[in-house]
Amino acid sequence: MSSCQRVARPITRSLQQSHVSHISPFALGRAFSQSAARKDEVPPSTTSAPAAEPVPSPASTAASPSEPKAPSGVDRDTVTAYWAERRLIKQGTPPVGSRRRRAAIKTSENIPFEQLPYQAFQEARKILQEDRQEKLRALQSTLASIKKLEETPADQLPGGERKKNMRLTSLRAHVEELKILADINDPIVKRKFEDGLGDMNKPIYRHLAEKKWRGYPFRLITQRIEQLNIVPDVLPKFEPTVDVQMYFRQDKVEPGEILPSLVTEKPPRLKVQVFNSGERLMSVVVMDSDVPNAETDSFDRRCHYLAANVPISPDQPSLPLSKVNKETQLAVPWLPAFSQMGAPYHRLSVFILEQKPGETLDIAKLKELYSARDGFSLKSFRDKFGLNPVGFNIFRTVWDEGTAGVMERAGVPGANIQFKHKRVYSLKGEKKQRGWEVKRQKPKYKSLWKYTHRIRGLPRYKGRKLD
Amino acid sequence: MAATLSNLTSTLARLSVSRSAGCTSTLLHRTAAAPTRRSLTPVLSTVSVLSSRSFSATPGAAKGAPAKGGAPKASKRRRKVKGDKPDPRIRNLKISNPRKVPAPLRFARNRHLRHWTIHRAWLLWQRKEREGEERELMRMYQSMASACEELRTTSGPGTRDEGYLYRVAMEKKGLFGHNAVPIEYARPQTETPARIPWNHDWTR
Repeated sequence: MSSCQRVARPITRSLQQSHVSHISPFALGRAFSQSAARKDEVPPSTTSAPAAEPVPSPASTAASPSEPKAPSGVDRDTVTAYWAERRLIKQGTPPVGSRRRRAAIKTSENIPFEQLPYQAFQEARKILQEDRQEKLRALQSTLASIKKLEETPADQLPGGERKKNMRLTSLRAHVEELKILADINDPIVKRKFEDGLGDMNKPIYRHLAEKKWRGYPFRLITQRIEQLNIVPDVLPKFEPTVDVQMYFRQDKVEPGEILPSLVTEKPPRLKVQVFNSGERLMSVVVMDSDVPNAETDSFDRRCHYLAANVPISPDQPSLPLSKVNKETQLAVPWLPAFSQMGAPYHRLSVFILEQKPGETLDIAKLKELYSARDGFSLKSFRDKFGLNPVGFNIFRTVWDEGTAGVMERAGVPGANIQFKHKRVYSLKGEKKQRGWEVKRQKPKYKSLWKYTHRIRGLPRYKGRKLD
Repeated sequence: MAATLSNLTSTLARLSVSRSAGCTSTLLHRTAAAPTRRSLTPVLSTVSVLSSRSFSATPGAAKGAPAKGGAPKASKRRRKVKGDKPDPRIRNLKISNPRKVPAPLRFARNRHLRHWTIHRAWLLWQRKEREGEERELMRMYQSMASACEELRTTSGPGTRDEGYLYRVAMEKKGLFGHNAVPIEYARPQTETPARIPWNHDWTR
């Protein structure tokens, strides 16, 4: 043992001994409980229903996931002894994180993030908290002015009803802006969102989620819409405003991916993330826009799945297509995607349409209209029921080894049909042969025949079938 | 003894930067008081062992050797344009634009969040300052404009007619120097150009 270790031995021993008794208060502190951050701040009183409380610090100390306690009482987060680790593994609750991490947590002071003693950081926090207080005051005053404006009758105001409504709309938009500005500079909010623990019922987390979505996934989806010509073919104009993710079993589908037919035999699972508050009813349509029609030499459309009245809210994004209610939600059951041999890829687009608020679609009517899947038109469906397409995803399918089996199991005829390209003959006529060799075919050039009579495609002499 | 103590604190300061950035204040106090940060106690013990050994050589002898070695070398070395040492501006230039760009910093999660917080606060503070300055300028401008408007609608002192003081206030003679006449007096500055903006047929 080196002299340094010998010197430090009594100190480290006392550290280890004292630290065991310090576990419980530190464990609470380590949860980075946001209530510690916001204890000094007075949350404003909510005056009206739409003013949801923008405090980003739910009292999550009770249900914090960062306090794993095994039945034996040994902390999963701070074990370092070999025997204690083995005991935890045997119990079925293995230790959390690497041994280095656990030793670091055990031997550090576990100060909550907001209280870390870095001067610039604390000064920055002071500035940001002052700004937050300012925003909360502005929020209160704006809410008060909205209330006052709502109460005054329109004829007393200059500009009348129209101006009053305009003012109310812009005041409410300003309230939403202030709600986001109050929390946008909070590192705890940022951390929670990045870890996926943000409560989507709060406007700040929805705002951050939308910003993240618009960074890459939205651009990808709009690119696919343009590349795969969804916009002129299926709908004349479409801008997605809702994030739709598609999973077949556990695998996420990249938009536009060509999937094997065995994978798409069972209906997928959707995750629909809306970015505005409130629960609403949505319809799901899966349609194939490339059903080949040999008679007309063009493509028809077919509906593979139709469900309506599915409740979606920001904190409930899950939409498993196989788990919808058969009586009240499912109109057309899932038909697996297939493409016959020789046909080009089929685009299977998944559309999420928002129903009018409070409106429920009649499933019996939908069954009656669209059970015959052929000739389905999304535009007419949208117009007939007053829907608004908000979300989109797409996958493609081609003929592969499993398609015949899939079609047979689904009871779809036509697995033995192969499509072939019809040859289009040019109207131009035969092209004249060009070249040095072509000009010297006649018997006059007999001495050159060994070079010139070897043109590919032309017989060497008259009567010979091929070269 | 005084030299070794000062060296001790300097080495402690250097080591403290590598161990935990931002805690130098507590570290410097610790040489006098009992240790408050337990994680840094082993550092102190190792540093005290090192410092007693590293400064055993006399400083006079150490300084003399390079000086003697440097003098005969200077005549053999090619003379630089700016003398022995490179110009601090050239040194600064070389450091600021290295041939190989240094690798980007990689922060741990907490470090990054602290950096982000400080960055947001700084930008916010700058925005507040900027907006405050703009507001102040706007306030001064508007107050001057309202004063001029007031003058424009006021009959001047005594028998002077309406707007006399305004017209006097708008004069700019002598503004850009003693007896200077501003360029805008050459031609009246109107809001719209004249009906005949340029006379192409003008001759002398």
